[in-house]
Amino acid sequence: MHPLPRRLALQAALAIAGLLALPGFAVAQEPTIKVGYTQSRSGPFAPGAQTTQEPNYLLWAEQVNAAGGLNVQGKKRKIELVGVDDRSDMETIVRSYEKFMTTDKVDIVLPPWGTGANFAVAPVANKHGYPLVAPTALSQKLVDMKLPYYFVTLQQPKPMMQALVDMLAANGVKTVAVSYMDDLFGLENIGALEPLLKDKGIQVLDKKSYPLGVKDLSTMLKGMKAANPDAFIGITYPPDNFLITGQAKEIGFAPKIFYTAVGTAFPIYRERMGKASEGVMGMGSWNPKMSKVAKTYFDAHVALNKKEPDRWASAHAWAALEIIQQTVEKVGLDRKAMRDHIAKTEFDTVLGKMKFNGTEEVGVPGMVGQWQNGEFEIVWPPARATAKAVVPKVWN
Amino acid sequence: MKQGAIFLVAALLLAALPVLDSPFVQSMALTCLMYAGLAVSWSMFSGPTRYLSLATSAFFGLGAYCTAWGLAKLPWPLVIMAGGLAAMLFALLIGLVVLKLRGAYFAVITYGLGELVKHSITHVEKTYAGTVGRVMTETPSSNVVYWTVLIIALLAVFTYVHFGRSRYGHALRGIGMDEERAATLGVNPMRVKLLGFCLSAWFAGALGAAMAVRWTYIEPNTVFNPFIVFQTVLISMVGGPLTVGGPLIGALVFSLLSEFLRLSLPYLYMILLGLLLIVSVLYLPEGIAGHDWRALWARFGRKRFGREP
Repeated sequence: MHPLPRRLALQAALAIAGLLALPGFAVAQEPTIKVGYTQSRSGPFAPGAQTTQEPNYLLWAEQVNAAGGLNVQGKKRKIELVGVDDRSDMETIVRSYEKFMTTDKVDIVLPPWGTGANFAVAPVANKHGYPLVAPTALSQKLVDMKLPYYFVTLQQPKPMMQALVDMLAANGVKTVAVSYMDDLFGLENIGALEPLLKDKGIQVLDKKSYPLGVKDLSTMLKGMKAANPDAFIGITYPPDNFLITGQAKEIGFAPKIFYTAVGTAFPIYRERMGKASEGVMGMGSWNPKMSKVAKTYFDAHVALNKKEPDRWASAHAWAALEIIQQTVEKVGLDRKAMRDHIAKTEFDTVLGKMKFNGTEEVGVPGMVGQWQNGEFEIVWPPARATAKAVVPKVWN
Repeated sequence: MKQGAIFLVAALLLAALPVLDSPFVQSMALTCLMYAGLAVSWSMFSGPTRYLSLATSAFFGLGAYCTAWGLAKLPWPLVIMAGGLAAMLFALLIGLVVLKLRGAYFAVITYGLGELVKHSITHVEKTYAGTVGRVMTETPSSNVVYWTVLIIALLAVFTYVHFGRSRYGHALRGIGMDEERAATLGVNPMRVKLLGFCLSAWFAGALGAAMAVRWTYIEPNTVFNPFIVFQTVLISMVGGPLTVGGPLIGALVFSLLSEFLRLSLPYLYMILLGLLLIVSVLYLPEGIAGHDWRALWARFGRKRFGREP
């Protein structure tokens, strides 16, 4: 064998391969869209963040990229998530967002989990001109800061408490016992709830607060049982809504309506409480029976994350991403244009029409949900209801 | 004097950092300085006396709440002073009681008192102010916050060095070695301990007061965060609390390393950080600064070459 032709053949093959590869370079991929965010993967915020928020971010990137990317002014660009753990620590959260916005200069930022973290990040985003659409922030004080670049998709205390009180009145409730947590969330909700109860002539027989991290509430619940109210309202957070539900069942405190606020709509509430969860009411916004888009979202979430989304803020997190996506596809990545578009546009989301009045979203009303046969049915307002409220709740 | 010169140059360079106009570098430096200040002030008392205090979170949180209450009414320097003084006052009150305890009892009770302050503030706020969280809208610029923290950290270093050299510093070390003997030699242990404890509390309180404005909104659970004291103690231990260089090196290494690992290995960094801590506790019991590196090097040489190098 002569060595030369063989080498020549090899060179020719390489050259052809190179040529074939060239057109690939010619249509080289558009640069990715960098999306920066922190979520709590460790620390006390982690259970909430990993139930409600981060799974949605992952699902969104997966879906958009599977479709070839986001359409930015006629060009398909893939999403590159830059997500880091914030250790549930405020200073780490602020520092990470400063890095995203100034050093990394990412195209889009997505919000962290929780009201406190949103308070910390909202002014930073506003200062650097990054629009932020947040699903897990609950405070009138945050809304009242009127930061032009900051938007919240979750219903605030007032509409949520309005829906609750209307539902109570519609079910003939005359007396209630109220317990709430000693924090901003508890106090703001109580502040909204009390005048509304008064308007409807519903009497508060007992009102007690408890600190975060409480381990036993049986004494409080026994006192409420003795007062014998028509309904129990707990302005609770996980894990104390587990505690309250479990202990109420133990001591046989069984009012007609049993309401615990946040975390009731978590699938883990149904799993941990088992039959006791049946008939419990709480804050919610949706379920997969509500509409076809809701069902599609639910199935995609379960398929990718191997866990169900919660029946309240998960869909608000998804809606926030839909708002970002529709905005980018309409006006591109110019952040001022994005902000203006978000501020004045009505969006189609998994929860229906959404639009903002300042910071607050005003399209989706406050709602009440109830566990019925393993699904968190929306029972109020009637226009959004997926089932009729089961009253009285049966304890078994 | 050579060390003093290095220190001065470093301080000037740090003070000029805002010129870079890089918020991330600056906030990284801010975190380093905050932990440097906390660790140096913690070591000021706990290093020589070997009293493991876990009250730092309580001091820090008290300072932060002083800012939340006073920011709208007082000028900034006074707010910081007040934050430090509140922590100092608290240290004086609890010190009178808890400084009689030693070892694990002291550590546990200082931690417990932190929880007590947290719940007391929650209660007071709820009962008298009708709120729990506090929002701060008119906050000083990030440069002002940065310089404030820098000054407090520098003050802590300065105090550590001078207090350590003073009569009281010697007395504190004496107490750490043998409290009864120190008392026999004419030291009033309670008074000296109280002084050291209060002095170290001022810095943690002032740092809490300065940092609070970074988060716009504070509530008891974010500012009375046990994470802060655990991190402070770790930094001091890893760095070595018996020299001022120890906590400084510890703060620098720990802040940079944990940030680097967090950003580059988002899913692995906790495991790596844990392993590093185990290694440093096992092999560097005196801390990085306190370790006899020459001896280690000599041993390494013996193993490698079979005989003394």
